[in-house]
Amino acid sequence: MNVDIFGVYFPIVLLIVIGFLFVAVTLLVTKVVRPNRPTPLKQQIYDCGENPVGKAWSAFNVRFYIVGLIFIIFDIESALMFPVVSVFKKMQEMGNGGLILIEILIFLLVLIFGIAYCWRRGDLDWVKSYHVNKK
Amino acid sequence: MENTVVSYFFQFDCVKDFLARMSESLGFNVIPLFVVAVFLLAILVVIGGLALVGGAGTLAERKISADMQLRYGPNRVGPYGLLQFLADGVKMFLKEDVIPTDADKFLYLVAPVLCIVGVFGTFAVIPFSDGFAITDLNVGVFYLFGISSLVGVGVFLGGYASNSKWSLLGGLRGASQIVSYEIPVTLSALSIVLLAGGLSFGTIIGAQSNLLEQYSWGHGLPWNWFIFHNPFTIVGFFIFFIGALAEANRAPFDLPEAESELVSGYHTEYSGMRYAFFALAEYIEIFVVCGTAVALFLGGYNVPFKIGGDGIVGQLLQAGVFIGKTFAMYYVVIWVRWTLPRLRVDQLMTLCWKYLTPISLFNLIGCAVWMYLFNGKSFLQLFF
Amino acid sequence: MFGTILFICSAIFTICGAVMVAVSKNVIHASIYLLISLIGVAGLYLTLGADFVAVTQLVVYVGGVVILMLFAIMLTGGADLKVVSRYGFTKDPGMGSLKTYVIGGLTSLFMAIVTGKLIYNAVINTTTENQLNMENSVEQTVSKIGTLLVTKHVLAFEISSILLLGALVGAAIIARPVKLGDE
Repeated sequence: MNVDIFGVYFPIVLLIVIGFLFVAVTLLVTKVVRPNRPTPLKQQIYDCGENPVGKAWSAFNVRFYIVGLIFIIFDIESALMFPVVSVFKKMQEMGNGGLILIEILIFLLVLIFGIAYCWRRGDLDWVKSYHVNKK
Repeated sequence: MENTVVSYFFQFDCVKDFLARMSESLGFNVIPLFVVAVFLLAILVVIGGLALVGGAGTLAERKISADMQLRYGPNRVGPYGLLQFLADGVKMFLKEDVIPTDADKFLYLVAPVLCIVGVFGTFAVIPFSDGFAITDLNVGVFYLFGISSLVGVGVFLGGYASNSKWSLLGGLRGASQIVSYEIPVTLSALSIVLLAGGLSFGTIIGAQSNLLEQYSWGHGLPWNWFIFHNPFTIVGFFIFFIGALAEANRAPFDLPEAESELVSGYHTEYSGMRYAFFALAEYIEIFVVCGTAVALFLGGYNVPFKIGGDGIVGQLLQAGVFIGKTFAMYYVVIWVRWTLPRLRVDQLMTLCWKYLTPISLFNLIGCAVWMYLFNGKSFLQLFF
Repeated sequence: MFGTILFICSAIFTICGAVMVAVSKNVIHASIYLLISLIGVAGLYLTLGADFVAVTQLVVYVGGVVILMLFAIMLTGGADLKVVSRYGFTKDPGMGSLKTYVIGGLTSLFMAIVTGKLIYNAVINTTTENQLNMENSVEQTVSKIGTLLVTKHVLAFEISSILLLGALVGAAIIARPVKLGDE
């Protein structure tokens, strides 16, 4: 089924443009009314009353990166699953329900095995310890 | 399947005649202009309404929290304090815009824009009613999750650009939290897509209209909702709700902006209107997320007994039902914030990866098996 | 006409974003230009009529890969690098030798030939059959992709899950803390 690209996707582009304009126009309008008296003390960052020492970032904890990686894996998995589950009902009516169920089960079980492995080896812990059950 | 506001209006013959006559009299084809004008009007109405909801949300939060804590909320500005959010808006306008000296100027300016664009982009698919969804995309649900992940980038950039230790930590935690909780949310939505047979909101809400078809009067009544379809979707609703709360950085998951820990987290160094953009984006995102939960699980805009038929009155009633249900969920969200204590960051991540994700994966498998065994009939359909 | 405007805007986003990524001196700024470029690519997919792929691009790349890039930059401390010279190079011992110039010259010659041929084909050699066929209609591709994934391309579908498993386990292994007693 073909749909008209203009009629359907134009509002998205319009919304994004209006989002930009909303921010830009509001900031321009308020630039006129708000005071602007910068002093060095005001422009320091807030550190609960102390003077800030050193730069903002010292050492990165790799657990943030691991969370990002695991997220990407599951995101791609869900992106692959979306078209498959949206034809499940149609396939069911055509009589191929068992086939598509088996395929979805295989796909999901592989990933469940993956996350179970990561859980068991302690990779999902936020605070990683050295004493993990290595079986 | 892909209805938009414009295609809804094209149904009426009087509109088509009017446009034909205008085209003849003006000489050129008026229809694209009409399309642009209707979309612009619809978008402005939606943005205006939702910005109002965002502002009123701050007020609702203060009044409801006051009610739960047995005190009065704001009650000076306007009758019962109802104009407080306008006063807050004026205050935000007039505050000085302080940019820290060492802040990364480009990223500092881009972060609120990303948050606002990410939230505004979701308005295009929110199903207010049958004909009044701005555009009922074929890939509606997926698109909504995609464009709202721009907010995560905005949160991280806001934290990084401020060049402050606390903001950076808040931004990192916020981005990793938003990103992690997208998985259980998407998996719960997957189980609903499986039951409905399509990705567009129109299909999903249409599949909840009247499951017990032999009772034609039963349109839109609660037993048709997907939440009562099978035991797995009940669990799925709660997982979706919890995950969506975490995605909106909302208590008990508001560690990125926790006042007692990180001053104000990723938006510490933002003042005035820029801070207002972050706050507005958060409150509007709560509305969008509640609206999605209502559309996916709670029957969307289906009016009981199909009162009002298909005309304009029916559409307005449907929009009213949808907004009413969403406001009820909004109240629950505010209620949860002022009841539960905040989660620690490792508890947050453990909850997501060790509890919600495996449960939602098994939910998906359960829904698929149910669909296969019972041919998609709901729990109640099997017995009546 | 909207299709043409969408194509032009998406192409501008993609190309300008990509150029700014290469030219920018600050790595995190480069990530944001990458974000813009990837949004442009999503728009390009839309002009080709692939709505599902455009939204997948949005979800996976914009929502995931850019955040991962930002985390990776923080991990490797790339944001700390200061620009040493005007063009972002530091003086490297390998620069300025004959080998470098020969290889650099051959590479740039090759790239110039390829780019020139592309531009020639696109601009000079355009006939009505070769012209970009502006799709003014977008097919609803989700159910087609789904049907194909479970009937004709099942093996690809299942093997992609194994691929994802490999990536997951690999990521987990890389991040394990090294015990103090081990080498």
